Amino acid sequence: MNGIGIDRRLLALLYILAFLLLREWLIPVIVLTDTGYLWLFLVFIAMTFLMALVGAKWWVTVPIKIIYVVWAVHYVFLEKVFFTKETAVQLLPDILSNTGIIMGGNWENLTNPFRTILFFLLLWMTTYLIRHWIEVRRSIFLFYVMTVIFIAFIDTFSPFSADAAIFRIMLTGLMLLGLLYISRLAEKHHVVLSMRSFIAISAPLLVVVTFSGAFANLLPKQEPIWPDPLPYFKSIVQGTGEGGMGTGISTSGYDPDDSALGGSFEQDDTLVLEAKVASKQYWKIETKNTYTSKGWEQNSASESHMSYTMGGELGGMDVSASDSPRQQAQLKVAEEFPFLLYPYGIRRVSAAGNVILLHAQSAGQYRTVINGIEGALDAYEIDFQEPKYSMKQLRATTMDDFATSNEDFSPYLQLPDQLPGRVKELADEIVGKYDSVYEKTKAIEMYFGRNGFVYAQQDIVVPKVEDDYVDQFLFDTKRGYCDNFSTSMVVMLRSADIPARWVKGFAPGEAVKDANGEHVYRVTNNEAHSWVEAYMPGIGWMPFEPTIGFSGQSNIDFDIELDLGDPEAPAMKEKEKQKPKKPEKPNKAEKSFEIDKLFESLNNWVKNNVWKLIVGIFILGLISWGIYAIRVRWLPKLLIQFHRSEKSNWKTFSTQYKSLLKQLDRYGIKRASGMTLSEYAIEIDEFFGGEKMRVLTQAYEKGLYGGNTTDQEWGNLKEMWEDLINRTSG
Amino acid sequence: MTHKEMIEKVLTNIDQVMIGKRDIAELSVTALLAGGHVLLEDVPGVGKTMMVKALAKSIGADFKRIQFTPDLLPSDVLGVSIYNPKEMEFEFRPGPIMGNIILADEINRTSPKTQSALLEGMEESSVTIDGETMRIPQPFFVMATQNPIEYEGTYPLPEAQLDRFIFKLKMGYPTKTEEIEVLTRAEKRVPIDHLETVISLEDLKDLQKAVVNVTVDDTIKWYIVECASQTRTNPSVYLGVSPRGSLALMKACQAYAMIKGRTYVTPDDVQYLSPFVFGHRMILRSEAKYEGISTMEIVERILTTVHVPVDRIRVK
Repeated sequence: MNGIGIDRRLLALLYILAFLLLREWLIPVIVLTDTGYLWLFLVFIAMTFLMALVGAKWWVTVPIKIIYVVWAVHYVFLEKVFFTKETAVQLLPDILSNTGIIMGGNWENLTNPFRTILFFLLLWMTTYLIRHWIEVRRSIFLFYVMTVIFIAFIDTFSPFSADAAIFRIMLTGLMLLGLLYISRLAEKHHVVLSMRSFIAISAPLLVVVTFSGAFANLLPKQEPIWPDPLPYFKSIVQGTGEGGMGTGISTSGYDPDDSALGGSFEQDDTLVLEAKVASKQYWKIETKNTYTSKGWEQNSASESHMSYTMGGELGGMDVSASDSPRQQAQLKVAEEFPFLLYPYGIRRVSAAGNVILLHAQSAGQYRTVINGIEGALDAYEIDFQEPKYSMKQLRATTMDDFATSNEDFSPYLQLPDQLPGRVKELADEIVGKYDSVYEKTKAIEMYFGRNGFVYAQQDIVVPKVEDDYVDQFLFDTKRGYCDNFSTSMVVMLRSADIPARWVKGFAPGEAVKDANGEHVYRVTNNEAHSWVEAYMPGIGWMPFEPTIGFSGQSNIDFDIELDLGDPEAPAMKEKEKQKPKKPEKPNKAEKSFEIDKLFESLNNWVKNNVWKLIVGIFILGLISWGIYAIRVRWLPKLLIQFHRSEKSNWKTFSTQYKSLLKQLDRYGIKRASGMTLSEYAIEIDEFFGGEKMRVLTQAYEKGLYGGNTTDQEWGNLKEMWEDLINRTSG
Repeated sequence: MTHKEMIEKVLTNIDQVMIGKRDIAELSVTALLAGGHVLLEDVPGVGKTMMVKALAKSIGADFKRIQFTPDLLPSDVLGVSIYNPKEMEFEFRPGPIMGNIILADEINRTSPKTQSALLEGMEESSVTIDGETMRIPQPFFVMATQNPIEYEGTYPLPEAQLDRFIFKLKMGYPTKTEEIEVLTRAEKRVPIDHLETVISLEDLKDLQKAVVNVTVDDTIKWYIVECASQTRTNPSVYLGVSPRGSLALMKACQAYAMIKGRTYVTPDDVQYLSPFVFGHRMILRSEAKYEGISTMEIVERILTTVHVPVDRIRVK
């Protein structure tokens, strides 16, 4: 593979184009995995191509690449530019232990440095493959198509926007294809093209590609005629794990002051909490009840406090949690929070020292008082019973129940006077067709996923004096992070007369191994989150997750199987089908792009559009079948085109001959199984006239039975074959 | 002169005396080239002797004829040692088997003992007389005939011995126009007397050697074996074709391909020759016999069912 036959300057150009194509693969991967260091990988690829270009021997290139990979890993993970003793001490055991992990098939447990090494290896192989395609096969079509498919897929299913990328890919890809085609033609006809003539030949191609590209770029672009087929998962995946809440212009992490929402949500992966718990939990801090058009405040005029000592049972258990199994969570909090981060269904808290819990009942906050002074606990254990809700019960909730309830919901129905009327109109429109409180609430929760809302963290508008935060998001920007979604949902719920409050806390975080090798959930400031609690009559406060990308924070264990014994179950299931359901367990809020989440969303989407899909598949099947059924007409043309560019030899000829046999069979001249080829050939020639089939058959027999696969006039035979197979398509 | 041209000369030569019997001539030459022998089953007077004589004359071979009778002894075929009082020793007088081309007329008329003397000679290409083994001169080609009409006082050849003939052929009557042509040619003179030798015995030996170089692809071998094994599983057949039968078919195909000027065997060769090779190597069940099915028909039927290999077959 040393590029014989390709001018080195041309090869350099081809490599640059291939480099650009490969870069398009890297960008989304880097962006989606939030890896950073794109340049490290680009340098690696560039280095590989460069060394190939100067024709370096493998015993030069391989060590250089290995050293580079090790250095890159070292640089990224140990954050040092030069090698030290530490490198060997830290990296070697890592590699060894990961090798063990690979042997054991525990892919999830691979550590990041090792993953990076594997990624480098993958890149290495890819560059090798590309070099093979360019230098030997002289055809990059497969890679090009894969690139387009990959980018289109990523664009559709992930937050990555490939608007410019697809344009760049088209340009570089077409140029690469064209240049390779010219060089392939030259090779095939044994013509050595001088650089000058090569430029002359390829100039029209480059001009056409450049101009059409530029022209296409300048043209006004039609909006998609079809609505985005998958806004549902698009929005879900876009938001994946990127939780955020904040105040002011730029936010990160938890901030007790929410009086002015909006602005960018800044990435901050400072550790907040490490939780050792069996399943993913949302970590709640407090709720807020008063919406100010710009943000949230807690109206604590009527706040009552309860105090508990460590280890004692907490009061106010949810009905819904009463029969759930008791679980335990061990928390290590890195931030100085003078309050608890707690899962739903909290029953008991234990910590070392003289600690008293002060429970602000309406805000739902547990403040920690150590030795009489408010202070932060750095480790505690929480017993909790995860709430479970019966779907039957949820569906039985009605608006009238609020009237008969003797609780005072007025703080949770509060709305600012200046809230524009269209918010309420929208809320009424959304909930209008549903009867139960639960279904109304769910309808509002689902609203965001399907009406063009986009999850974004950067450049989120801060409402001006005359603007309302929710109104602006719902009708103007439709772009934001968790605060926008959760606040809007609460406001809409209240507009529809459903008591609701705004919840702050942290998303479950990423499952990792801690220093002792045990599984813990690692929660950083990036997981700071806000969601919604709505009151279900007869059940209590129930969490909901309107933020797209967080698949179902609502804390009900919606489980159809639970209700299987229930006579209402079948009817209910039917209803469920009409209404898209998010998985209800609050489990998916990971930092990185998660494949299984994608499948989950895909699954849901399929469920919701099952009829469209069936009809679509049916029509597609019908069309395919139709095309297949008339293949006797179009296949010969295709075969001729396909074989024309192939070398004339026995291999080509025998495939041609066999395809001719098949085509003749389709045409209607059947060959009985006991009929020899020469007998058949006579029949064919009688039918079409001439003696082409006999000549072809004789040549084929000579090759097949006589083993003469070298000195026949393949060129003539190919012409005859084309003539004959063409006749069958008439 | 290519192989094909030489063979063509012989066939044209035979054509001068045998009108409309090109196929039988071809098959006889095929058997000759493949080193096999032919059993002709037909009524007298259709030209069996003429065929063999013409063939012998065309290649300049020594022609002998043995008319088998019930009282013929093995020594009448093989030869006998007679005491020569002058030389004071036994002198071997070779029998008619010591020729190149032998016509064994009405072979089923003689006793099994004499039959087997001939058949052993055919198989071994040598005879043993008084403990002395003698080679039969090469080429050696026997055309035996059998009269299917008269069964009275005959000794039908046992199936095992039929196996020694590569082909069993039927001559058949000529068409009317052909028969008229026969008469016309024989009107003035005896055509056979004027037949010339067109190739030498050495040429023939060369041809026989060249036959083995004809390619038989694995595909073809697969086809031959498939056909043969089908005869063994056919419900109408009591005893199918032996591997010797498959081998004979392959050899015959090689020779036939050479006659056709090819250097390789095609399935057409197999299809054309297999009734003649397999026909006399199978024994039918009595039910099939009563239904009037002939072995030839069974072979034809098998040929229509076995899939002709039109693509490469990998034989392990």
